[in-house]
Amino acid sequence: MRERGSPLFRRHRPSWRAPVELLSFGLYFLCAVLLVLSRIGHGAIADARDGLVDLTAPVLEAASFPAIEARRAYERAQLYAAAFDEVDRLKKENEALRQWEWRTKLLERKVAHLRSLLNAVDEPGLVFATGRVIADARGPFVRSALINLGRKDGVHIGYAVINGDGLVGRTVDAGESVARVLLLNDLNSRIPVLVGPAGVRALASGDNSAELQLDFLPDDATAYPGDEVYTSGSDGVLPRGLRVGVVTGTQGAFKVRPYAELNSLDAVSVLFFDTPALQRTDPEMAVGGTGALSAAPTDKAVKTTTASLPVEAAMGSVGVAADIPNPGGQAQAER
Amino acid sequence: MNKFLPALSVLFAVVATAVPWGLPADATFILPLVVVMMVFCWRAIPGGALPPAGAAGLGLLADLMSGGPLGYWALMCLIGATVGGRAGSLREGSDFALQWLIWIALVSVLAGFGWLLASLYYFRWIDWWPIAFGALTSIALFPVVLYGLLWVRYGRFGPKRKVIFRGSA
Repeated sequence: MRERGSPLFRRHRPSWRAPVELLSFGLYFLCAVLLVLSRIGHGAIADARDGLVDLTAPVLEAASFPAIEARRAYERAQLYAAAFDEVDRLKKENEALRQWEWRTKLLERKVAHLRSLLNAVDEPGLVFATGRVIADARGPFVRSALINLGRKDGVHIGYAVINGDGLVGRTVDAGESVARVLLLNDLNSRIPVLVGPAGVRALASGDNSAELQLDFLPDDATAYPGDEVYTSGSDGVLPRGLRVGVVTGTQGAFKVRPYAELNSLDAVSVLFFDTPALQRTDPEMAVGGTGALSAAPTDKAVKTTTASLPVEAAMGSVGVAADIPNPGGQAQAER
Repeated sequence: MNKFLPALSVLFAVVATAVPWGLPADATFILPLVVVMMVFCWRAIPGGALPPAGAAGLGLLADLMSGGPLGYWALMCLIGATVGGRAGSLREGSDFALQWLIWIALVSVLAGFGWLLASLYYFRWIDWWPIAFGALTSIALFPVVLYGLLWVRYGRFGPKRKVIFRGSA
């Protein structure tokens, strides 16, 4: 007699079915528990993840090498295919840039003159380190990238990450040798920005798509497609003036198209910018003429201030950066 | 070595998932779904020993590498392993269409479930298009992946009849 039912239910059933199904149920339950713990951001989960990501980093770094080389070869092939058009375009761009160079030099002189008149204090230059993207995050939840710089290179959580085109994101996890960068277009990314020449304040929010939403833009604000968007620095986490992207869309539904190509990141630079508000600049009040009102700060206060900028570690990594041409990163950092 | 072949091949796919290929934003869901598809196929291929716990472990590794919430891809792989294990052994050509249909049904459910889970995780409706695009692409890729795994397993595009009916590899 022919057996009834589809092959879906005709699988041979081993005699140890009950323990297997119990195990399966246990695994489903474990997955649910892990999801809940991840959602509430349990510290043990985060620590375990950091440790495991550090362990997998060498594998990822080795595996990403052929992928990156393949991507470069493809890009190079595309470039060769359109070489003549590209040369023409670059010639025109070069002419335009020469004019800009001349104008910039004039403006630099003017700014320097005005600064000297105002006795303006020079802004400290930013130290940065450059590394490579070794892994991408795929899925509905996150848009992040893993870079081969970690705590041993001086990277902490919250540092801005840029490439030659503009802001890429910020570090959200820092292991010993790797760090995770939350990209601008991630659902959790919120960047306070200034829009256009008027410097209208807004919030660039990621929604996992290629473009960012421009939230909290005042109704009476004058913004136009093509306006430049840059960081305002008002959150105290990111430095002011980092290029983010340009405005696209129409009035009421403005979006920001990031300058950085977030889908094909390669070399990125981490800016060692610590929140100014968190740095202790005044010495503690103490008895004996060494307090806040004293002219001489305590050793402790000095240590706290300098420790926030890991110059030695950063400079060590800047040596690494020398291998990777990234003039845009330098320009951004100087800004 | 044959015993570890399924796990090793899926591990290779998990690592490939995390590698920066430079795919567009809409294509972010394709590679992880290929991992789930491989789990499903290995469970359906006769003699392809990939236990559910192994599938969940590999999914967990995908979660770790992707930086997403732990348990999400583990859950997807576990569902793939459960359904693949119950879908019946793949016979010489005759059951291919049925397996494909089961995968279409499964990936549709997984896409819907994944989208709901992601929306619940963030308390907002997330963009459904990358998930739908990934699901559609995985349906198109199913024959390639299945026959690829059959080739890896048997050195040819399909199991031998005697292997199936004797019930051993």
